[in-house]
Amino acid sequence: MLAKLYIQFLKFGCFTFGGGWSIVAQMKELYVNHDHTLTDEELLDLTSIGRSLPGTMIGNIAMFYGHRMSGFWGGAACVFGMITVPMLVLIIITSFYTAFQSNIWVASAMKGVRTAVAPVILSALMGMIKSAFKVPPCYIVAGAMFVLYFFFRVNCVWLVVIGAVLGLCICEYYERVKHHDAAA
Amino acid sequence: MMLLLELFWSFVKIGFTSFGGLSMIPLISSEMISHGWMTASEVSDIVAIAEMTPGPLGLNCATFAGMRAAGLAGAFVANMGALAPTFTLCAVAAVFFEHFRNSKRLMQIMIGVRPACVGMVAGVVIELAMVNYADLAGNVHVPSLVLGLVNLLLLVKFKVSIPKVLLFSAVVGIILFGVMELG
Repeated sequence: MLAKLYIQFLKFGCFTFGGGWSIVAQMKELYVNHDHTLTDEELLDLTSIGRSLPGTMIGNIAMFYGHRMSGFWGGAACVFGMITVPMLVLIIITSFYTAFQSNIWVASAMKGVRTAVAPVILSALMGMIKSAFKVPPCYIVAGAMFVLYFFFRVNCVWLVVIGAVLGLCICEYYERVKHHDAAA
Repeated sequence: MMLLLELFWSFVKIGFTSFGGLSMIPLISSEMISHGWMTASEVSDIVAIAEMTPGPLGLNCATFAGMRAAGLAGAFVANMGALAPTFTLCAVAAVFFEHFRNSKRLMQIMIGVRPACVGMVAGVVIELAMVNYADLAGNVHVPSLVLGLVNLLLLVKFKVSIPKVLLFSAVVGIILFGVMELG
């Protein structure tokens, strides 16, 4: 069972370009459509909880699925399966990168690629905006965290903690307003 | 040994405060630069490399940073650090899955955490842009800036996929910065 889970996730791991959504699609194909070990709804639940826990989304999803099938070690087998190929690929690339970094052609290619990095992050950021701003105070949270990060160099760990506390406060406020309105 | 521990601890912090792909970048950037493991332009390179290769961005960054800082052992240790929340929090959550499924608290926390991540990532975009579109003297490097704007247009307006945009900029980079400056 562990070996089977490891191999299945080894395969998923080979095709996870650009974010974790491709792995979810592959899991749907194999587990929902073919093996019937998951329903569509269960996969959606795994995904949404995996996404809202800290850490790598697909690592979390792999852990959830493996745990369901075969306990903690099942989860570990899935996670290790998933990271094996990407890790090997990147170890090789990093070695080449380090060796050829000062080569004029590699350096100028990287210089070109670097101009794309801010746009890539920016375009992904635009995709996040829709799900990030559920209620108006969220804009204030984003603005405040930007200022604290960029101008005051506050550590990201604290910013996430502050964000979590503010999230609870915002919801508490809306609950009270709702109760108040209901009472009045 | 100390180095490996430091690396592990850095990525534990990165792991526990990241919620999906991009939100890792601000902390990776500040941890890597403050420890002297990477320069700001290497942070850009790793984001690009991680986008072009299979695997989640956060783990690819961990492998790259770990390799650079302490070789193979470093790569392994950094990955384990980044996966720490998966092996602890998530394993516990798996046991109480039904509770988490409808957890109101978790949802409420995310209402604040998601915009906080947007704010931090916006900050890191500006930081990286300040390095990537500047020359060594710190002045705006116009060809880079123009190429950057073209890339933004390709991504947002024409919905070109990220690996294609990166490949395109590599080719333009070779022509623009290699061939032209040699000649």
